[in-house]
Amino acid sequence: MTGNAKLFWRLMMRPLAREPVRLGLAVIAVALGVAVVLAIDLAGTAATGSFHSSLETLASNYNLEVTATGGVPEQIVGQLATLPFNFVLSPRMEDVAVVSETKKTVVLLGLDLINEANILQTESRKLETGNPYAGEDLSKGFFADDSIWAGSGLGRKKGQQVSLIVGDREKTFTVRGVYDDKNQPAIIMDIAAAQRALGRTEKVDRILMRVPDGQNVDSWAKQIASILPPGMEVRAVGTSTEENRKMLAAFRWNLKLLSYIALIVGAFLIYNTISVSVVRRRAEIGIARALGANRAEILFAFVGEAAALGIIGAAIGVPLGRIMAAGAVKLMGTTVNALYVSSRPGPIQLGFTSVLTAIAVGIGVAVVAAYAPAREAAQVTPVEAMARGRREFIVRVHKTRDFTIALVLAGAAWASAKAPAVGGKPLFGYFATLLVIAAGTLAIPAAVSTVIRASSRFLKKSGVAALLASRSLLGSLRRTSVLVGALATAVAMMTAVGIMVGSFRITVIQWMEGEVPADFYVRPAGNPSVDRHPTISPELADKFAALPGVEAVDRLRAYEISYDGVPTTIAAADLHGTQKRGRTDFFSGRPSEDVLEELRTGNSVVVSEPFTYKHGVKRGDTISLKLGTSLASFRIADVYYDYGSERGFVLMDRSVMKKYLPDDAPSNLAVYVTNGADPRRVREEIEQAARDYRVLIFSNGDLRHEAIKIFDKTFAITYALEAIAVLVAIMGVAGALLALVIDRKRELGLLRFLGATGAQIRRMILAEAALLGLLANVAGLLLGFALSLILIFVINKQSFGWTIRFHWPVAVLSGAISLIFAATVLAAFYPARIAMRLNPVEVVHEE
Amino acid sequence: MVTLRNIVKDYSADGQLVRALDGVSLEVAAGEFIAFVGRSGCGKSTLLNLAGAMDFPTTGEVLLDGISTNSRDDSALTKLRREKVGFVFQAFQLINTLSVVENVELPLLLAGTNHARQTAVERLSSVELACLENRMPHQLSGGQMQRVAIARALVNNPKILLADEPTGNLDTATGTVILDLLKRLTREQKTATLMATHSAEAAAVADTVIELRDGKIARIIRK
Repeated sequence: MTGNAKLFWRLMMRPLAREPVRLGLAVIAVALGVAVVLAIDLAGTAATGSFHSSLETLASNYNLEVTATGGVPEQIVGQLATLPFNFVLSPRMEDVAVVSETKKTVVLLGLDLINEANILQTESRKLETGNPYAGEDLSKGFFADDSIWAGSGLGRKKGQQVSLIVGDREKTFTVRGVYDDKNQPAIIMDIAAAQRALGRTEKVDRILMRVPDGQNVDSWAKQIASILPPGMEVRAVGTSTEENRKMLAAFRWNLKLLSYIALIVGAFLIYNTISVSVVRRRAEIGIARALGANRAEILFAFVGEAAALGIIGAAIGVPLGRIMAAGAVKLMGTTVNALYVSSRPGPIQLGFTSVLTAIAVGIGVAVVAAYAPAREAAQVTPVEAMARGRREFIVRVHKTRDFTIALVLAGAAWASAKAPAVGGKPLFGYFATLLVIAAGTLAIPAAVSTVIRASSRFLKKSGVAALLASRSLLGSLRRTSVLVGALATAVAMMTAVGIMVGSFRITVIQWMEGEVPADFYVRPAGNPSVDRHPTISPELADKFAALPGVEAVDRLRAYEISYDGVPTTIAAADLHGTQKRGRTDFFSGRPSEDVLEELRTGNSVVVSEPFTYKHGVKRGDTISLKLGTSLASFRIADVYYDYGSERGFVLMDRSVMKKYLPDDAPSNLAVYVTNGADPRRVREEIEQAARDYRVLIFSNGDLRHEAIKIFDKTFAITYALEAIAVLVAIMGVAGALLALVIDRKRELGLLRFLGATGAQIRRMILAEAALLGLLANVAGLLLGFALSLILIFVINKQSFGWTIRFHWPVAVLSGAISLIFAATVLAAFYPARIAMRLNPVEVVHEE
Repeated sequence: MVTLRNIVKDYSADGQLVRALDGVSLEVAAGEFIAFVGRSGCGKSTLLNLAGAMDFPTTGEVLLDGISTNSRDDSALTKLRREKVGFVFQAFQLINTLSVVENVELPLLLAGTNHARQTAVERLSSVELACLENRMPHQLSGGQMQRVAIARALVNNPKILLADEPTGNLDTATGTVILDLLKRLTREQKTATLMATHSAEAAAVADTVIELRDGKIARIIRK
């Protein structure tokens, strides 16, 4: 160990061991910050990185794909096969099935098993089950409609029977073989059997192609597209995965930034810890300087202390983050599935880069936070540091200057919030958030000082404990301000996100009033999914319509398309019925009936608000949509508010859609009950009519309840992140109060000489915590309100394109704030206990 | 007013037993001013702490105004201090975040006494500092700070005043003023004043000087 390292160890590190609780709290603060950042990073990759991986796993030998909305006509396969190029073709059916027994949704893949036997043979060999075709008599139903090959993840054995729900029908299949599905459960059938099971004969969902080497894949794609009908899409395999990733970028980006809050709060606490360390070692700094240490060495000593805390914190934070990632994946997966795309989380992979980044972030934050107090320590002259009788470190707090800077930053935040998105990302919005936090932090010393002074008379009347507590906080204004700043930042983010989510929730509830008018909704059984639209047998709608007590049945058919490289849902509905009782809000403010009339009579569509933001279009513009084999142009008749999905939505009249895609099968049905009819009786009739179909029937109330349940699950992760940030801040309060007690031993001892009881000392410490909590909550609420405006009207709008109406979630906020206040006071019990147990004779004479 | 009966006080320092006081017996009457002198570590501060009900003797008994401090719990001792004892320290020990008058009224507020402010102002007048009541401690000279400390020690009309090196941080002239003040107030208020000091000038003001050596009373000089 070198001389400097020895000194650093003896003077800086060894004394830390004497205060294990305070040291522990600072380390845990960093550890939690690092853990949250790492967990969100790992979970983000795992939860959003495996779209349709079962499909892609079995598509690795191909480089191009041909798709079309509503399916690719079978003759296209023939057309491609006859081209004078050496293409390898793989037509496929791709959908989902629900295992009746477990209710698990699995991918259903239809392959030409004669041509693609190699896939099953290769994958089966990995399981050492040998050739799945061996010993089979291919002529005896091996490719029959009830034959399936099960992925190993399903846990089925060859020869077993399994009941599957496909669309709205349930059927029993026989497992002909098991293949290695690499933990992405899927079921493989022969393509013809799959077409029949899915009710989509004469069409395939996708044609995979392997084009000859030697020519660029893109130029092949262009060449092939030129000979196919205009509605066909020819693109590189995996494009949809990339599109999905792109679509999820904003979600991941926002969550990632949210994960840094705990670290920012932790930075406040490191700043405070190092400030305390500087105050406490003031005499030692003087001695070291007198004995020859220069300013740089003092600076490095304190920055080094922070770096040590950062290293220990990061070392704990990395494994903790890996554990937390498992929970985060579940929460993120719920959001991804509810709002974006069906996805099964992949494995969490703790890579070297992630670990290194987390450690760097932990140490970096600690060092940056410690720089200011460390620099102040370096500036103190030896004489000043060793001066007797001035134990209290008189820190310069430039209240007025800081408040002026705060006003300037607030102005800059306002200007920044007005700036447009950069490359689809609300970069200026994020910047405005940082500016608001910085402005709030700088304004806190002035605010704290003003509030405490203004309330001094009231505090005095509240008792001697409150008076002493308030004076103590005012006496160490910088420390108080840092603590209030840390807790206020956590409360502010909680308030801001709480207001945003609460506003969003109420907006959605109000929106559903108009958008969910039917009495019953019907969809195929299985888990709901935003990007898959299994269909209901067409005759079922007619059966319902004929039931007594049913006034009307609206059909809605949805397809997934890629518009401008962005996954989009295109849907068609019976627009005559939906408006019987519903009320859709359009941007133009026109009555729904006028807009819908336009849709029925011309080639017009309405698009959702997120669609306009993603594609930069507006009412009156024309968009081109690939429908079946056609490329058709539509005028945007209007834009409607839509909170059902973040994916863009294009809606047209069913009669218009049928011109391009004549498939009659609806994805959903809306059933309206005749006025005066008994809804319970009608439901029984519907259930009776649907007894041979696997469909789910929701009442209006059920559907809304379900939607809100999904909504709440979606935002669970944001609440979890905020809770951690608040926890870090409260730990900081506990640590800081402990430091305050240790630093004020003399004063506390003196009070005992002057007649204070132990209970009075405890009350005083608790009163300090209560005052800190109160100030932080008030500052946090004000700051949070400002941040919520940026979140709702800038970041959300530019990231997702939703118009959220502002609401105060009074109950949630007041509950959360009361809880934080109580936790802050509770956090003070340990320091208060220490204060009560101090020996007054010892501490007064020590000084 | 203060009675010490055969007091022994032992401390444990790093496993070693150290005897700070060894069989000290003493009686101090109301209005009497006693100075304890002796080298550092001879037991002066320990004796004051015992007389102020801040600590218990290992053996022996301390009686304050006839009340024994032995076998009393913390709250009873606190009550005893509030009512009967005032402390003056070498380093003044004012609370920096409180104003002059707030420092003086602090013992009254801790005791929950009514009209604390009025009493504190009166007490400040008695130490001739009424005009400085709203100043903060760091705005005062050393002598002024010690006078504030004396006002604070006497604000609850204690029967016993304990002063540990009250002139240790002051220049000679200011020290003399403070000692005169202590003597005057002892007489006026009939307190039993016990002062620990290194200073011969300070000790000279007292009615009785007791020299301590190795925890024992070595000599008593009555004037």
